[in-house]
Amino acid sequence: MLDERRLDILTSSAKYDVSCSSSGSTRQNVGGLGNACFSGICHSFTKDGRCISLLKILLSNDCAYDCKYCVNRRSNNINRASATPDEICSLVVEFYKRNYIEGLFLSSAILKSPNYTMELLFDTVKKLREEYHFNGYIHLKGIPGSDKLLIERAGFYVDRMSFNIELPSENSLNLLAPQKNKRAIIEPMKMLAKDKYFALPDKRRPDFLPAGQTTQMIIGASPESDAHILRLSEFMYSAYKLKRVYFSSYVPTNFDTSLLPTEQTPLLREHRLYQADWLLRFYGFSASEITGEDGNLSQELDPKCAWALRNLHLFPVEINTAPFEMLLRVPGIGVTGARRIIMARKHTNLDFDALKRLRIVLKRAMHFITAKGKFFGSEKQEFIKYALSSPINESYHQTSMFDTIQKEASLSALTGEL
Amino acid sequence: MTILKTRKSLDGILDALFYSFTKGIIPDNVTTLSVYQMDFTSVIINVPKFNEKDRLRVKSALVKYSGEDIINDVNLCLLSGDEKALKYAFDYTRATLNRKTNCICDISNPFVAPFRYCIKNVLDERHRATGFIRFRESENGVLYAPFSPDNDIVGLVAPHFLRRLGTTPFILHDVKRNKVAISDGNTFHTLTTEKIANFTPSENERFCVSLWQKYYNSVNIESRKNTRQQNNFMPKRYRKFMPETWETDV
Repeated sequence: MLDERRLDILTSSAKYDVSCSSSGSTRQNVGGLGNACFSGICHSFTKDGRCISLLKILLSNDCAYDCKYCVNRRSNNINRASATPDEICSLVVEFYKRNYIEGLFLSSAILKSPNYTMELLFDTVKKLREEYHFNGYIHLKGIPGSDKLLIERAGFYVDRMSFNIELPSENSLNLLAPQKNKRAIIEPMKMLAKDKYFALPDKRRPDFLPAGQTTQMIIGASPESDAHILRLSEFMYSAYKLKRVYFSSYVPTNFDTSLLPTEQTPLLREHRLYQADWLLRFYGFSASEITGEDGNLSQELDPKCAWALRNLHLFPVEINTAPFEMLLRVPGIGVTGARRIIMARKHTNLDFDALKRLRIVLKRAMHFITAKGKFFGSEKQEFIKYALSSPINESYHQTSMFDTIQKEASLSALTGEL
Repeated sequence: MTILKTRKSLDGILDALFYSFTKGIIPDNVTTLSVYQMDFTSVIINVPKFNEKDRLRVKSALVKYSGEDIINDVNLCLLSGDEKALKYAFDYTRATLNRKTNCICDISNPFVAPFRYCIKNVLDERHRATGFIRFRESENGVLYAPFSPDNDIVGLVAPHFLRRLGTTPFILHDVKRNKVAISDGNTFHTLTTEKIANFTPSENERFCVSLWQKYYNSVNIESRKNTRQQNNFMPKRYRKFMPETWETDV
């Protein structure tokens, strides 16, 4: 099994890969160890608030490439380590049976060449399935530029596969990762989408990528706007049938180039992009609706509130008659809330007390809905904006006699309204 | 204030329902009294144990109006550690009998909503436990996992690990309720026990725990520190049995 030193190196090098989910697969345990849970299971949470679901590790961090933003690039003077397929497999089995992890997230730096690296990755997952009889979740990071056949064969052993698009535009990719190219990343994504489509369910052979494919891009290392990033995500969801696009806010690790910002991208930007991504996937929004005129997402308001404020003429909607699609667009009502409302209003006319029992977030929703014709919100845009905005960098402090404590009072001072 | 005292079981609920309908009493509370703070005006009525035939009448009526699912739902609700779970189950089943229809979808109803949230709470904790339980390997190869859930979920969690661990025998130990689920690799049994044999870890165990702790610390990104989110998703009460948090939290 791996020793602590190499585990530390290979994990520290893998931690900037943000993908962690173990959902989407229903792989059963057939005479071995493990199975997959469709909803995914989080096994722990680190101090940065991210979940640990899979053992996230590199096969090697000894990289032949020299990407400007990457901690593992060839020109960096860091500790290097590699693991053998057997070492990875035994570590996975030992961690899995103690219920530390849900499966394996395996990636690697480019060791010698893309094909050599992909072969090693393929050997590892094949060994894990066939020799160690492991039926838990496996997410394999594909190596752009490797042989098509290797990638296809790996798809039959793993639950999910991903090729990182790295940066939101081809220009940025050419500038910051000159050894990578757009075609080498996009082609395997296209191929996997096509293979997944044609891989009909067949009991005689394993399922092909049951949890589909994902991708990841770094946010803030290059100057693309949120609108650009969301349009790209929207395109990839429809063209390559991706399950998720992950965003990773840029964390500076290399300080020897003027091409990269010296400060970390605010986590709030990443958070807003995830909120917008959720709206694209589950709420029926399009990328053009979500972003503001300047092409970026509001920092103060979440994307749905910001959209609702730009479209106040569509509100308020009557909660007892509004269609599901419109309920989804009301701030404070999510997919679960909208379903609850639809279910509950078949039995009774809903009022605000009933909505409270349904656990609808009325603090937000009340400005955009009526219940039995009653409206308790405000019609003034400034008032709503102030009430819904989340203070940035809020910190606690000792108030003095002259501080205004209540939000309502400070609002009244602002608008002059009693 | 009328309080019905009954047992926290399906039979207890059926007895209380039978008593409530035959005597025409609508109680303000239904409880086991073990955790109930009474006031001066409380009138406590001990619900007698009725015979099987009477219980069956109530059960048949519930199944007739609401389907077999209602029995499963009541059993799930009664697994809750919430002291009001018995009342929620009673109110919901009484509402079903009064309305003579399946009212589980009337989720804004004040009798239905708390019942549903109680069940949700149990199932949510079951899901969390599937992730937060930690096994230790004993020298004879049996996996042992002590845990201390809010709800009585040991019987709900065991099938998950039975499917997952294949033929590996394991013991799940709810230390709060002294309940264990024991699996021999094919099936599992749940029983109550006062004492469990001393656990002797395998040779590999200490090394694996130390590797896991190292992994947990290495995968964290220092510059993205967000302990508030960590605490939201992984409440501190679950960490006692999680080795990755021993050095820092416990």
